[in-house]
Amino acid sequence: MSGLGPLTVRELKKWVRNPTFFVTNLIQPIFWIALFGSAFDITKFFPQASSYVLGGAPNYITYIVGGVLTTMGLFTAMFAGTQIIFDRRLGPMGRFLSSPIRRSSIVFSKILSSVIRIMPQVVILIVAAYLIPNGLKFVHGFTVLDVLVLVTAIVLVSFIFSSIFSVIATRMTNMNSIFGIVNLVNLPLMFVSYAMFSPAMMADWLANVAKYNPVSWSAEAIRMVIINGNLTTAQWTQVGQWLGGLAILAAGLLALTAYLVEKEIRD
Amino acid sequence: MNGTIIETKNLTKIYNGKIKAVSDLNLEIKEGEIYGLAGPNGAGKTTTINMLITRISPSGGTATVGGFDIGKNSLEVRKLIGVVPQDFTADEDLTGRENMMMVSQFYNVPKIKAQENCRNLLKLVELEEAADRLVRTYSGGMRKRLELIIGLVHEPKILFLDEPTLGLDVQTRIQMWNYVKEIQKRLNVTIILTSHYLEEIDELAARVSIIDHGKVLITGSPADLKTSLKGDIITITLSDEKSAQLMKTVPGALEVKDMGQNTVKIKVVNADESLPNIINFISQHELSTVRLTVQKPTLDEVFLEYTGRSIREEDGGSDARKLAINMRRARQ
Repeated sequence: MSGLGPLTVRELKKWVRNPTFFVTNLIQPIFWIALFGSAFDITKFFPQASSYVLGGAPNYITYIVGGVLTTMGLFTAMFAGTQIIFDRRLGPMGRFLSSPIRRSSIVFSKILSSVIRIMPQVVILIVAAYLIPNGLKFVHGFTVLDVLVLVTAIVLVSFIFSSIFSVIATRMTNMNSIFGIVNLVNLPLMFVSYAMFSPAMMADWLANVAKYNPVSWSAEAIRMVIINGNLTTAQWTQVGQWLGGLAILAAGLLALTAYLVEKEIRD
Repeated sequence: MNGTIIETKNLTKIYNGKIKAVSDLNLEIKEGEIYGLAGPNGAGKTTTINMLITRISPSGGTATVGGFDIGKNSLEVRKLIGVVPQDFTADEDLTGRENMMMVSQFYNVPKIKAQENCRNLLKLVELEEAADRLVRTYSGGMRKRLELIIGLVHEPKILFLDEPTLGLDVQTRIQMWNYVKEIQKRLNVTIILTSHYLEEIDELAARVSIIDHGKVLITGSPADLKTSLKGDIITITLSDEKSAQLMKTVPGALEVKDMGQNTVKIKVVNADESLPNIINFISQHELSTVRLTVQKPTLDEVFLEYTGRSIREEDGGSDARKLAINMRRARQ
């Protein structure tokens, strides 16, 4: 009696049926990689040091793919909670609350559907990055295991931020409050991380703060497998630490979400 | 058929520590009946329903629905009941049928059974043609009809109808009444109906509780409540003062009042039985009448009798409106 299945299907139907929502979602990755890839590419100012700055990546696009993928996951996930407010305002929430479903499944359906919506974006972004001139290059190959690392990192980042913003949304009745919070934190989360720039390019204090941002962990883990292909044991340990940190954080936040929502979701 | 299916004991709900929406409410609803909760806006009808359907938890008292405690066994309660809330709950971006199928999955109704239930219910409220259109294209009346059957898709034993005809035109309202009667007859569900349209309760409910300020004032069948007022009123206007004076001596009246302008108001136990006597009296004394009206008490009069004011006045009353607005806010 969880209700998670039918509620997630509902979210996905709403997505696929809304052409604006659906198409913009799919075009967005192309815009992002093309724009970010050239706008933030500061390696052109010091070509000699580019290998140092980019951690061994052959070009900036290859370097930021991990960051753009993570940021995209982050932005989509932050809006997962907005539907909760719509459901409360437009009425469906009343129906869900009087049905014999777990109350947490109402929120988890938003989280799960936002994670599913990110997946085609991931594919499109990678294809777009690969196709643009001087784009993504897998110099040392790319294995199934690497794909797994990439997908796991994005899924975990999505879980982390959609949980946080869903819990916030369950306590709000006004759409503008959640938009305000999203706008307040989205760019700081993106720029106070290693998503677009390496620590070498950052002021020291910024690089130190960014170390603790889960966005950095995901960006770095994906970057590591894209740049290096087959990883050494030391590199795997590092990736394991990043993914482990993300997993612990995601599990904790999902558990907290379940607890808070079962207790507190209101009409 | 006659077992008690819902029972509340001193059920109380206080919003924000100060707004007492429901206070020590006691109800006993029997299996298979249509039970009405009547009262003005802000009387506590919706709050009572929301507690019984486990959407909100009570501040005090207990209640059982279908034998299950609403606090300890809320999940079991929710499996048993169907709900048609006051507001629209269907998702506008899905079709009517998709909404119904989604809700049926909440109750684990097997797919084939659910499809069959949907077909039958859509037919019952004449929504077959619109079933596969997006709900956002529906008219207000169609959406109300859809809400009515979404609450029934899992064949509940108990159906809660909260103001099912609020905001509908008279024709559509009568149509809704017919659907509700049909549902009760065919599906043998217990229906709990709230309404501030007293004629709606009168038309549908076998028993009714009149609620005001969160308390039950009186419970009974609409017919009994009306009879308890002891009095149909017959108003007769005669052609002259002398006739009017004579008319006042008519035997068998509970009360006779001179209303002036040759008009006499006669209160009798039952107008159907007293009217022939009155007409005989008129012809015996060769009185000439100008106008004769018979007024049977409606639930409005019952409401007036027990609350001391009319439900219509209450609708416009600023205190009640403020209370209703505050309660609505508190619920959010």
